[in-house]
Amino acid sequence: MKESLLPAALAVLAGLAALLAYAALASPYLIAAGFTIVLFVTLSASWNLVSGYTGYVSFGHVVFFGIGAYTASLLAVKGGLGWPAATLGAASAAAVLALVLGSITLRLKGAYFAIAMLGASEAVRVAASTWESLTGGGSGITLPNLLSPRGAFLLLGITALGTIVLTYAVAQSRFGLHLLAIREDETGAEAMGVAATRAKTAAFVLSAVPAGIAGAANAWHINYIDPESTFPILLTIQMIVMTMLGGGGTVLGPVVGALLLGLAGEFLWARFPFIHLGLYGLLIVGIVIFIPEGLLPRLMARGILPRTRRL
Amino acid sequence: MLESLPVYLQVIVGGLLLGALYALLASGLNLIFGVLRVINICHGELMMLGAYAAFGLFALWNVHPLLSIPVTFVLLFLLGIAIEKTLVERVAGAPELSSLLLTFGIGIILTSVAMNAFKADFRSVPALTGSILLWEIALPRARLASFATALVITGGAYLFLKRTRAGKAIRAASQNALVAETCGIDVARVRLFAYGLGAGMAGAAGNLIALSYSFNPEVGHVFNLKAFAIIVLGGMGNFAGAFWGGLLLGVVEGLTGYIATAQVVDAVAYILMLLFLLFRPSGLMGSAK
Repeated sequence: MKESLLPAALAVLAGLAALLAYAALASPYLIAAGFTIVLFVTLSASWNLVSGYTGYVSFGHVVFFGIGAYTASLLAVKGGLGWPAATLGAASAAAVLALVLGSITLRLKGAYFAIAMLGASEAVRVAASTWESLTGGGSGITLPNLLSPRGAFLLLGITALGTIVLTYAVAQSRFGLHLLAIREDETGAEAMGVAATRAKTAAFVLSAVPAGIAGAANAWHINYIDPESTFPILLTIQMIVMTMLGGGGTVLGPVVGALLLGLAGEFLWARFPFIHLGLYGLLIVGIVIFIPEGLLPRLMARGILPRTRRL
Repeated sequence: MLESLPVYLQVIVGGLLLGALYALLASGLNLIFGVLRVINICHGELMMLGAYAAFGLFALWNVHPLLSIPVTFVLLFLLGIAIEKTLVERVAGAPELSSLLLTFGIGIILTSVAMNAFKADFRSVPALTGSILLWEIALPRARLASFATALVITGGAYLFLKRTRAGKAIRAASQNALVAETCGIDVARVRLFAYGLGAGMAGAAGNLIALSYSFNPEVGHVFNLKAFAIIVLGGMGNFAGAFWGGLLLGVVEGLTGYIATAQVVDAVAYILMLLFLLFRPSGLMGSAK
């Protein structure tokens, strides 16, 4: 067990080195493009932690991104905090919201949970645009420049890496097995002694934290937030599609999906904004019909990749 | 309070008028769920396409949206059949979430297509204007006509399910597909027909939305959530329940908009749905699970 951690540790170090080098060397345009990619990696990996492993598909995961963005911005603008403290605040707010929301919605099964989460993100968006005295309503909040684009990229890049490491740790643990057991047969898992409610809620909170940090990093990156751009349903759709493409319930599936679609989006079809959304729709339909289990599990089944929970 | 009574009546009546449209939309969703066990999360988008069909027919040939209902119904029925046959049928028997994701994806495609074809502008069809004053309550003619038409179509669908052989086959398939199959019902065809019928009803609801409210390619999304909330309120798979659930949602939304602000209205469906899921999961009318 001990020595087998070495390749993973080396991969993390290599990832960290790559992030630092990119942050130091890339042009401002490439920093902005890189930010989008690490945003997708973070969010997909975060969605995967709960939806990929437990099978509780969340159609409203963007709510944690949004609450992170709003908490960070309010702490910075009204609380006068610096970006590190405000980012921590965003992570905590996302965790608390996940705890509260999860204790309600995770009692619901399957489609009920999916749609309850869709509604939750809509309800929080409505709250953000209605509560004008706090959030500035539809006109949003303009932020002072607290963190440079390079800094925001690095913050989010490290969060992405951290989320992957977290997923790796979960995947190898008893806890991860509990989550997979819940996905396959929740009643059966409970009968075998899995504390399903506690495990689901824990996974939900764990998955909310990186999304909350991503919301904060995004606020530092663009220095402005409003309800429409902070709770876009498209972002939830992207998390779902990217994870499904790579393969849910695997460590690297969401990363592969986010890199493939993120790079394709950034360099191929960004020029065609009007078909952007439709392409995601086509991808969802295509994936559900042709590779419902995702690329990585398909490659594992074919023997091209080793069958292991480490990937 | 006493002086504001007519205002409240006005708000409640307004809610009922809209509620009947919700009921029509939700009935189709419920029908599809009952027979296919698929939550058709592109239902609002089908309705949106119906609204554009009505809009197009009115703009091109001046066809009144109430008269073009049969045309829209048939168009959406055919589209529904195509969707069921080529896509939905492929995930029959797969986990529930496959069909949920699939129809979610179809909805995104339809929105995107409409966005490219018709742009994001809000449209409406001003075919019927003015109001009737009944005591102190103003009843816009367009909404009144939509209300009556929605009742007629929903009622017609109900009678069809209760009284005809085809309706009986649909109910049998939704109660127990396996037993229905052994009794000689072609369940695959029933599924196809039920999906087409649900889509056609969504299209008809689109006509009525076009007549009495405004719409753009993105309204489907809001209506999906509302229609789903309604069948939760009424009881999943319960046809009459969806009707009462629709009226209830219309009235509660109207009252919320009046007492609080209009922005909060879209959250009402969600909050009602959550309360019902948690405290009365079988819905208003109760339902066979």
